[in-house]
Amino acid sequence: MLRSCVSRLRMLAVLGGPPGVAPLPAKDPWSPRRSFSSEVIHMDLSLPNPSWSEDMRLLFDQFMKKSEDGSWKHLPSYKSKFTQRTEDIKIYFPDAKLMKEKLSQAQLFPRSFEEGLGFEYAMFHNCVEDRTVCIFQGGPYLQGVPGFLHGGAIATMIDATLGMCAIVAIGFAMTASLNISFKRPIPLGSVVVINSQVDKVEGRKLFLSCNIRSVDEKTVYSEATSLFVKLDPKTRLT
Amino acid sequence: MIRRGFQAVIRLGHHRVLPGAPHILPRLNRTSAFGSSTDSLVSRFCLEKTDLKDYALPNASWCPDMLNLYQEFLEKTKTDGWIKLPSFKSNRDHIQGLKLPFGLAATSDKSDWRIFTRCLQVEGQGYEYVIFFHPSRKKSICLFQPGPYLEGAPGFAHGGSLAAMMDETFSKTAYLAGEGLFTLSLNIRFKNLIPVGSLAVLNVDVEKIEDQKLYMSCIAQSRDQQRVYAKSSGVFLQLQLEEELSQ
Repeated sequence: MLRSCVSRLRMLAVLGGPPGVAPLPAKDPWSPRRSFSSEVIHMDLSLPNPSWSEDMRLLFDQFMKKSEDGSWKHLPSYKSKFTQRTEDIKIYFPDAKLMKEKLSQAQLFPRSFEEGLGFEYAMFHNCVEDRTVCIFQGGPYLQGVPGFLHGGAIATMIDATLGMCAIVAIGFAMTASLNISFKRPIPLGSVVVINSQVDKVEGRKLFLSCNIRSVDEKTVYSEATSLFVKLDPKTRLT
Repeated sequence: MIRRGFQAVIRLGHHRVLPGAPHILPRLNRTSAFGSSTDSLVSRFCLEKTDLKDYALPNASWCPDMLNLYQEFLEKTKTDGWIKLPSFKSNRDHIQGLKLPFGLAATSDKSDWRIFTRCLQVEGQGYEYVIFFHPSRKKSICLFQPGPYLEGAPGFAHGGSLAAMMDETFSKTAYLAGEGLFTLSLNIRFKNLIPVGSLAVLNVDVEKIEDQKLYMSCIAQSRDQQRVYAKSSGVFLQLQLEEELSQ
């Protein structure tokens, strides 16, 4: 179980980055991000930047420390899922190769913003307990009711976190349903922690749930349950 | 069962007493549509005379389907009682003259805050959408075209972007139909992927208003209704916003 988890995490790193590039070592999260002059899209955006508040940095450090013994793992995150053709993408999206030129301007939605303005987040996976945690700071472009995060922005982060949890658990999966209960509005600019886990697996169906809490865990902002489905290579999506 | 957090909010909204100042808005009348009527909410929301930029207008990035359907509904605004809702950079612009919930002071207004669905302002890059609202039928139609920066799976819109568009359409409908302000719950069943750059039509209906909550349903489908992208339901909490006292 642990071995398959680790191999899937390696696949994730390959999916988004050039071959032979290892993630930055856990002990040195403050060193400048690796970047390539011709392909900025290969930067790991799940690393601290000047827009991160102190709460966010502290949490990040705590999780990086937990990653030192291997029970937790920091998950990298890139601007596009299509930075490199992989066998998985070719199978599920056979037309994607033809669309590559059009897609070169595409960006993964939660990474479409400049530093600090939209979604600032980092995800960590616990291989032993099989759960994924996302630390998230919502920027000024995610507003709904003035002063608070838009419900849709919260839904996007829930979908992204549960999606990552699902992919690590069973591979390429897509959202079938999302059920979100909003308990308290989240103030714009604050840091929250999204805890997600797999509840049940039934064949290709994956049932996951998550909750969104404040950093001190005293406030529950939202709760959600969802169903993700593992894609069947034989079924085309379009 | 109303959650504690929101329970406090309702109490704040109803019983806020301003020393020496009369209540400007009519007292709560549960037999009518909460506090203000839909017509007065709509006219205040739409701000007919304004310099603010309205983003819900056609531009070069709109696909032919979107332009055609937009024209169809524009005709219906003249003959059939539909209203095209303006879309400003921030929700604050839509509620000018009203107090923000939770007593947020005007000094906390930061000029770079903007509504999530207008976060990407380069034409065609993010959310291209326009909402038409029918006051008496309590219905909305949203024409939504997701751009390449809303991508999830290669070539298709991110599930979160559709969730956000549904939440936003629910939000405007809930506000105008009955002063709904905060999302209490969202339940979305995804059926098919929306290709980036194509048109999705969201049909929203208010099912009922009960216990200070608005219940709505939504179907997102292709223009010819042959392909259903997703179905959802949303519940919003009613919260009356008070007038800002002139200094």
